[in-house]
Amino acid sequence: MKIGFIGLGVMGRPMALHLQRAGHELFVWARRPASVGDLPATVCATPAELGRHCEVVFTMVTSSADVEGVVLGEQGLIAGMARDSVVVDCSTIAPDVARRIAAKLGEQGIHMLDAPVSGGAQGAIDATLAIMAGGEAAVLERVRPLLECLGQRIVHIGPNGAGQVAKACNQMIMVAAIQAAAEAMRLAAASGVDCGKVREALAGGSAASRVLDVMGDRMVRRDFAAGIEARLHHKDFGLVLEAARQSGVPLPLAAVVGQQLNALMAQDWGRDDTASLLRVLELL
Amino acid sequence: MKIGFIGLGIMGRPMALNLIKGGHEVSVWARRAESMQPLVAAGARAALDPADAAKGNELVISMVADAPDVAEVMRGVARGAEPGLVAVDMSTIAPGAARRIGEELATAGIDFVDAPVSGGEVGAVAGTLSIMAGGSEAGFAKAGPAFACMGKNIIHVGASGAGQVAKAANQIMTGMGVLAVAEALAFAAKNGVDGGKVREALLGGFAYSRILENHGQRMLDRNFKPGFKSWMHEKDLNIVMQTAHELGLCLPGSAATAQMFNAMVGSGHGEEDSIAVLKLLEKLSGQSS
Repeated sequence: MKIGFIGLGVMGRPMALHLQRAGHELFVWARRPASVGDLPATVCATPAELGRHCEVVFTMVTSSADVEGVVLGEQGLIAGMARDSVVVDCSTIAPDVARRIAAKLGEQGIHMLDAPVSGGAQGAIDATLAIMAGGEAAVLERVRPLLECLGQRIVHIGPNGAGQVAKACNQMIMVAAIQAAAEAMRLAAASGVDCGKVREALAGGSAASRVLDVMGDRMVRRDFAAGIEARLHHKDFGLVLEAARQSGVPLPLAAVVGQQLNALMAQDWGRDDTASLLRVLELL
Repeated sequence: MKIGFIGLGIMGRPMALNLIKGGHEVSVWARRAESMQPLVAAGARAALDPADAAKGNELVISMVADAPDVAEVMRGVARGAEPGLVAVDMSTIAPGAARRIGEELATAGIDFVDAPVSGGEVGAVAGTLSIMAGGSEAGFAKAGPAFACMGKNIIHVGASGAGQVAKAANQIMTGMGVLAVAEALAFAAKNGVDGGKVREALLGGFAYSRILENHGQRMLDRNFKPGFKSWMHEKDLNIVMQTAHELGLCLPGSAATAQMFNAMVGSGHGEEDSIAVLKLLEKLSGQSS
């Protein structure tokens, strides 16, 4: 199948490569053509041109505005893609923006799935991402063989936007857990206790989690180089809290975590790992 | 002075009336034609649209709900503007949005002043609003005679957007202030102590505030009529939190308060006064009201 891929960053690049290795013909567009590198793909001049070639197009970019630009912009996918083709947006964006883009594409007979992922760069490389999809079930079934090249757990959450709601829930739990791990490490250190030992003990009990495992270990080693850049979690928390506001739902814990992330950004640690939430606690 | 006034809601109508009383020649425009009637009866000219409200005037004032409304009416104003027009927005919107609107109007040669107010309907009727303005010296001076009809404490805070920054700071204080008074009174009640006596005692000390005095009394009276509606306070706190997010600014108290206001809107208290936050505290703490 001819497949398009837009957004060749830390996540997008290995994902595109998996699709190509599964025997599909890959077309790409990148804002900076240099980012294509040695990827075995046909480089297109605009998203619209890419859209003309492809039956399914994946997007993996940063923000709601980026997705809107690439899909609905003047030389966007919408200007090139044929009826009954499919856009699969794997970016993490606002649920209401995902719904709006799906509606606009729908007017042209183009299908859309919001299919944000969880699992990080390692999950993308290992093709073990969790994929949470919003959109029509039949469209998901059409592209499921492609998604299976990228991840193992593929869940149809509901209609358009539902995938993004699930992703917002994912980010909320994960970053709150990072904050909890940071606070535990801070308390241990402030009490004169070895953080590494505490983490090791906790890993065997009820507080065990992947976050404590991975992020806790980074905190113990004070290795704050990014796995996932904290600025992306900061962006996601903007989406979470805006969705809460739109729904009239109080999220007291998420609100506090959001402020710790604001403080992290103020320290210029946005390009470091979110384990830096430990360093925010150490400021006070 | 010849003044156009756009937006005749709870706040806008008495403000426009005070301009007429102050001897200014006022044209008005509102989306709903019937809301122009009382002003026309008082001597205002009914304009056809925002462009018409600007036509022939030295000053145009808007008092509408939110940033998109301000942007829309100001686009109309720009079409009707004559050289030297100063446009003043007295709505509460995000500082960033105010700056963008100011820049857009500057390209059309219009001087823009953001001048949100504090003091509520009572202050609007009495002409005693606090007015916090952002923009050029010249624009602020031009609007001065109009401000004098509507308000008392009139401060030129700084450059474009600075008025909205002051207003957002005001909403941080009032949002947390209302929650603080509600928590103090809930604390007294759960301890079986008379909230009225606590309020009275506190009014003499460092915890004195106008919110403890006014809002505190209304909480004790269980009078939840607005006043200032919860959903509007929620909107304003959202401006605060969005701005904090963009700037990388840590505001833990405002964040917690904003969540309570989310819950107010979500649980059907949006049309009540902000002091209904007391009811949420009582529900969470199992206190019967």
